[in-house]
Amino acid sequence: MKFMILNIQLFAHKKGQSSTDNGRDSRGRRLGAKASDGQVVTAGSIIYRQRGTKIYPGTNVGMGKDHTLFAKVSGTVRFERLGRDKKKVSVYEN
Amino acid sequence: MIKVNVKNDKIIITGHALYDDYGKDIVCASASSIIISSINCVLQFDKDAISYQENKDGLEIEVLKKDKITLTIIKNMLDMLKDLASQYEENIKIIGG
Repeated sequence: MKFMILNIQLFAHKKGQSSTDNGRDSRGRRLGAKASDGQVVTAGSIIYRQRGTKIYPGTNVGMGKDHTLFAKVSGTVRFERLGRDKKKVSVYEN
Repeated sequence: MIKVNVKNDKIIITGHALYDDYGKDIVCASASSIIISSINCVLQFDKDAISYQENKDGLEIEVLKKDKITLTIIKNMLDMLKDLASQYEENIKIIGG
């Protein structure tokens, strides 16, 4: 039987086991695009879920109170530039 | 809490002292030092007098030879652990023996 190596924390709970206040997280909100560029959508369908206006409503697109973008008419989705550094999304009837 | 369970020829030590965080747990340091030095002391005299097994739950010691020296060292270990337990009742406990 070989000698034991002196480990004076042999019976201490392992490193990192001390309690922390972290460790909580909310569920993912599934934000982002729900329709892609060039896709045909029906009136009322949701195009983009977002927090604030990452993307602005363009032609035939409305914005809900939570900044959700939705089609006002049936047609084809187009993501476009808005000014120098902004984006908007429009729906063009077929 | 560290539990030192003395059963016939076996001593089973499980648990954690939980006196303080890792690296600052003086009860764990004391218990570890007492136990490890006792084991090594017996092995200095006779490498086959005891066997020990470390596992995720703790440590298991088995007395293989009941000669005077081995029994004296083991008794001394248990007496010291009992002293420690009397001072830190919430962190270490001796069962049996």
